[in-house]
Amino acid sequence: MNADLEKLQESNKTELERRGSIINTGAPVTEAITIRDHIAVGFGDGTVRFFQSGSEPKVVKAHKGVVFSMARNGDHVLTGGEDGRFLKISSEGDIDEIANFGSRWVDYVASYKDFKVCSSGNTVHIWSKSKEKINSLEHQSTVGGLTFDNKGKRLAVSRYGGVTVWKQNNNKWTSSNYSWKGSHGKVTFSPDGRYLVSSMQENQIHGWRINDKADLAMSGYPAKIKSFTWVGDTPYLVTSGSSDAVCWPFDGKEGPMGRKPVCVANGGKELATFVKVLDGENAVFTGFSDGSVLLSEIDESKKPIRIRNSTGSEVTAIAVSSNREQVLIGDLQGNILLSSLWADN
Amino acid sequence: MENTSQVPVTVLTGFLGAGKTTLLNRILTEQHGRKYAVIVNEFGEQGIDNDLVVDADEEVFEMNNGCICCTVRGDLIRILSGLMKRADKLDAIIVETTGLADPAPVAQTFFVDQDVADRTKLDAIVTVADAVHLSSQLTEHHEAEEQIAFADVILLNKVDLVDESGLDRVKDRIKKINPFAKIINTTRCSAPLDEVVGLNAFSLDRILEVEPDFLESDHDHEHDDDVTSLSFVSDTPLDMDKFQDWFGNLLRTKGQDILRSKGILNFKGEEERYVFQGVHMLMDASPMGPWPKGKDRSSRVVFIGRDLDNMNLKEGFDNCKSA
Repeated sequence: MNADLEKLQESNKTELERRGSIINTGAPVTEAITIRDHIAVGFGDGTVRFFQSGSEPKVVKAHKGVVFSMARNGDHVLTGGEDGRFLKISSEGDIDEIANFGSRWVDYVASYKDFKVCSSGNTVHIWSKSKEKINSLEHQSTVGGLTFDNKGKRLAVSRYGGVTVWKQNNNKWTSSNYSWKGSHGKVTFSPDGRYLVSSMQENQIHGWRINDKADLAMSGYPAKIKSFTWVGDTPYLVTSGSSDAVCWPFDGKEGPMGRKPVCVANGGKELATFVKVLDGENAVFTGFSDGSVLLSEIDESKKPIRIRNSTGSEVTAIAVSSNREQVLIGDLQGNILLSSLWADN
Repeated sequence: MENTSQVPVTVLTGFLGAGKTTLLNRILTEQHGRKYAVIVNEFGEQGIDNDLVVDADEEVFEMNNGCICCTVRGDLIRILSGLMKRADKLDAIIVETTGLADPAPVAQTFFVDQDVADRTKLDAIVTVADAVHLSSQLTEHHEAEEQIAFADVILLNKVDLVDESGLDRVKDRIKKINPFAKIINTTRCSAPLDEVVGLNAFSLDRILEVEPDFLESDHDHEHDDDVTSLSFVSDTPLDMDKFQDWFGNLLRTKGQDILRSKGILNFKGEEERYVFQGVHMLMDASPMGPWPKGKDRSSRVVFIGRDLDNMNLKEGFDNCKSA
């Protein structure tokens, strides 16, 4: 490559690409989560890599096949995989097998304090402090998503026909059903616990107000919603699945009922595939189907900042370290950008 | 639907005892140098142990799109999406269905889910049939009829256990339901794997290559529940607007009874051939290049389904001819 071309390519890089490191792992990135000053990333080749600024990533051969789901459990990461294993892994690479379901995949995992939870098929399995499983919760169809609320009192389990919310008190689990026709996937509670939202097989998300089960239908998307994140104090539920990051306001008594969403981070022809809050700010990272990433405030009048250029592969994970210094972006072809968010003074 | 990076998916149907497991075991153990993932049902005939075997639940979901027969396999969407996250690329995926399964939701999954359609493609529906028992199964279970009706390839297994006249009888029965499927006689499912996997039978351009013997299509049947087929040919160019009106309305109103439809169309004023194929109400259609020089331009359509005689198909098709 001649020097001019090199210079030109360098000048086309984003600020974060210039100061960060770019690696290709060759395996699809499936998920990324933050564990203190590490960012743990799961891959389609069964590895979990722990990234930390200034040092080589620690590569842990965790699963045979795809790492489907990850959750933070204290200093550890919980993973579920194609090999049917539910694992607890330390950032040093020590692996503790919590359970093995054989040819049944472990699709989703979740954690709250001592609770370690995974789903395999129709069943949600729960462990607490001891090594013994403390409970198994059955559902009418395969589990499509799992999440605890912010207080760890309720566990939402999505499935065909709606979401089952399990309340626990001293490991006594009682359920209530939030129904809506269709198949439900990824699920989340609003930060204040008043709303429950799931993404659906159809190109829409569905919400319920917890106390009266009032329905909120949020539709009009050109694609399935694979990712959402809560942003700011309002708060907004920011969603992928469109050429913009679509931000639904959840303030007031009625939340987004009868209101229009705010649309930021326009990707032109590209569809948003992954969204992630920048904690503590009213701002969101939006990753697109071509690998590019924009950072924008939830304000239609503000111009977004280009964080990453196109790689030709859809963004599948974004994570920010807990000190908010590092951001990691991964895509379906295994390209990783790890960079500091702020310029050195 | 023509993206080369899409992983082909073969759907394997067939009644209990027909020999599906024998075929699956061959696919998993033979030294073919390819990487095949196999999605099996937990009610399958016997356990198969292999890293590339995935257990499924056959969860049939109704879509919320107002189309009553639009059901999909929810578990298949989840599993195919999961397999597409693998670091090593699969050469093909085989989906086994239970003996009593309707193949339609499986096929429809590939029309309805965008992620599935982007990364995988329906290759063919292969039905394993038991030469000894098929006739009685067809009489007793409408699922058996559906599995024959949907098939692109039928492995007629255990042919060593029937005599020649018995074999002819069972083949006649198959052809009455589906004259367009390729029938392969086997014992112990011993057909070459490349006649089972990688057929591209659902690819629209493949429809052009298959020259079904339209004239042999006969349709005398014993009772109304029977699945039959009807086909029509026209040398007069068709009027595109009229055809779209008729065909769209037909699928909307009778799509539940029309299991499969296929066709090559010659529209008046169009230089290109139009090709379509449908599963119940869902359809994929596209122009497929100019007509070959020196060959007759004729439109051909095929329907496989129930109660076809009461749909005025011939009249409807004839009305589409341009004046």
